[in-house]
Amino acid sequence: MFLVAAGCAFGQAVNTQATPAGRAAGEKIFRSHCASCHGVSGAGGTGPNLTTGVFYHGSTDADLYRNISQGIEGTAMPDQFFNGVQIWQIVAYVRWLSATPVRPKLVGNAAHGAELFRQKGCSDCHLVRGEGGVRGPDLSVIGSQRAPAYLRESIVEPGAHVAPEFWVAKVITKDGKNHSGFLLNQDSYAIQMLDFADGLRMIQRADFKDFGIDRGSAMPSYRDKLSAAELDDLTAFLASLERPREKN
Amino acid sequence: MRLAIGFLAATALFGQVTYERLLKAPSEPNNWMTYSGSYQSWRYSSLDQINRQNIGNLKVAWVQQMPTSHRIEATPTVVDGIMYVTEPPSNVFALDAATGRPYWHYKRSLPAYNVCCDAVNRGVAVLGDRVFLGTVDAHLVALNAKTGAVLWDVEVADRKTGYSVTGAPLVVKDMVITGVAGGEYGVRGFLDAYDIKTGKRRWRFNTVPGPGEKGHETWPTTGPNANSWKQGGGPTWVTGSFDPELNLLIWGVGNPSPDWNADVREGDNLYTDSAIALDVDTGQLKWHYQFVPHDANDWDAVQVPVLVDSDWQGKPRKLIYWAHRGGFYYVLDRQTGEFLLGKPFAKQTWAKEIDAKGRPVRLPNTAPTVEGNVIWPGVQGATNWYSPSYNPLTSLFYLTAWENKGWYLKGEPKYTPGNRYVGSVPDIDMADDPGYGAIRALNPKTGELVWEHKTQTKPWSGVMTTGSKLLFGASGGWLNRSSREDSEAYFFALDAENGKELWRINLGGTMASNPMTYMVNGKQMVTMAAGSAVFTFALP
Repeated sequence: MFLVAAGCAFGQAVNTQATPAGRAAGEKIFRSHCASCHGVSGAGGTGPNLTTGVFYHGSTDADLYRNISQGIEGTAMPDQFFNGVQIWQIVAYVRWLSATPVRPKLVGNAAHGAELFRQKGCSDCHLVRGEGGVRGPDLSVIGSQRAPAYLRESIVEPGAHVAPEFWVAKVITKDGKNHSGFLLNQDSYAIQMLDFADGLRMIQRADFKDFGIDRGSAMPSYRDKLSAAELDDLTAFLASLERPREKN
Repeated sequence: MRLAIGFLAATALFGQVTYERLLKAPSEPNNWMTYSGSYQSWRYSSLDQINRQNIGNLKVAWVQQMPTSHRIEATPTVVDGIMYVTEPPSNVFALDAATGRPYWHYKRSLPAYNVCCDAVNRGVAVLGDRVFLGTVDAHLVALNAKTGAVLWDVEVADRKTGYSVTGAPLVVKDMVITGVAGGEYGVRGFLDAYDIKTGKRRWRFNTVPGPGEKGHETWPTTGPNANSWKQGGGPTWVTGSFDPELNLLIWGVGNPSPDWNADVREGDNLYTDSAIALDVDTGQLKWHYQFVPHDANDWDAVQVPVLVDSDWQGKPRKLIYWAHRGGFYYVLDRQTGEFLLGKPFAKQTWAKEIDAKGRPVRLPNTAPTVEGNVIWPGVQGATNWYSPSYNPLTSLFYLTAWENKGWYLKGEPKYTPGNRYVGSVPDIDMADDPGYGAIRALNPKTGELVWEHKTQTKPWSGVMTTGSKLLFGASGGWLNRSSREDSEAYFFALDAENGKELWRINLGGTMASNPMTYMVNGKQMVTMAAGSAVFTFALP
């Protein structure tokens, strides 16, 4: 019954809720039901950024409707929340998120940004499509995941947003050795880390002399290392790293 | 003597579960015949073959993998060498309890169903030659215990409006009692009793009273929200307890709907978030105690009521021990529902205290807001459906506790049948402070902490204690959004006297059920589900 009803709704050719009133209603629902995962501004949290206009599970209105009404299997995206009108209101709001100045027109030269990415040492720590280091986040599709303003901020102020998987664990073991690296897992008895020196490592809590988690970033700020034009170019390069668009 | 023992063993093997056997379940520790092991729901077994000295030798005896992608929340039932365990969503395996080899598998064909939080099942009930199962399409089914053949199959409620049955039924006399789930879909909750032979309904108790029924005045009766009781929630999704002497069924009632916006349901919203006591023959309410009037945080009272006869301030009294999701531990009088004690067992920021009459004194600004409000405990509570245990040898009450906060938002609820009716989606496991879990032992007379065993991952499973003063528990969560917490999946044994860890094993999968124990062929077995498998342990 539910599937049939939703199937009919997919057939809607034009989103009749794509009006200021529909978007406003969608924004209210978004704040109370979506913001806890996707962030109050839709720029992402534990759930993906919705301001880029590219959606991993489909980018058409029908895709968005389906994913909001039925959830996305294998993810934390739940199902069965709303009737048709409310879902179209959310679709209208999410569309508006990626059509507004949250995504300004980029002025930089992405090709030059790609050169800067290598020259300035970014690739020593960041993977892009199979090349680079593993001391920072994989940036292969970062343009689909984060808005340009976020990317720019992360270059000049790396500590502004640090995802928990890039918090740095610092351990001194009872034998006096220092270890630091990304905290991969911790349980009641041990931690697992990607040790910057030795790779994957498991250390028993019983062997700790000292243990701390640095929630800041291991990356240096590039505020004074790039000109304004270079910052534009590097941002443009990162924003261009998008997931291949699905054929709709 | 040998012959006599052999004869008795053979009799037991082909015997049937009678009501008399269920009444005396604690005297048959070889079996585990109800969800919580006995009508008193102590989740305690007097078996003591596995003890504090030899626990280090405990090994896996068998594993039964299940072809399911859903989380196992079931407690197995073991009767005379046969284990009946549910496979989610709504299937049953009958296994040889010594080896785990399956005798039969009941696999239910399911239509579309509505469940808020994975398609789960917490177990079966047994009586005579019958096994009883509740299903996610909101049916109650009787199966032949020897073959798995369907004997009857009745609709409990309309699945299309959000009802489901996820809890284990409870057999009392010649009735099978079942609750319903659906508190996130705006159902009107109830508790039902069915004739075990025919499946015909004997009685229904509506947990949200309608017009003319006592308690209806705690819902809006005029104005735009006068119909809010019809979608008022109050599900009954965890198996309750039974007092044969008082003839009372004691059961926990879940959250009011919508969960996180209480504006549309002014009033106390009885009997949501309450303990209820019903005459088991008629379903008539004898008393109730409401833990959270006008709840706006989803703090169901779906905990297992632990029934203990003990001295209370110098006089013998029939008591209930109850650690509630909102973070307080309670003692109630079982005959009258009188409130006797309410003391926090975890951090909570919503109530100043529980007053002398048993009503929480709410602190200001502790309801969800449009901007969001941080409150302890988080939406999953300071404990939840995870079974507690009472051990008569230590006289301690054991539970799984969470120290955690939540970000509670308030939106506009709109009821449409079959869709979630919740009002918002709160945040849990917040990255800046995800909190931690613990197994805690309380002095049940005072609520004071005796010991705790901390866990990095907040456990989603209950505890079980034994006659050798062992406690079995686990630290494995379900798949959290925060992947850093996914990996802990330890099943462990603690010394029930002091909380010292004596044994553990990484089972590598979600643990969201409760441990249980039984004996077969002279060996004590301990069972716990993890991931999509049932693990059973024994000494070599």
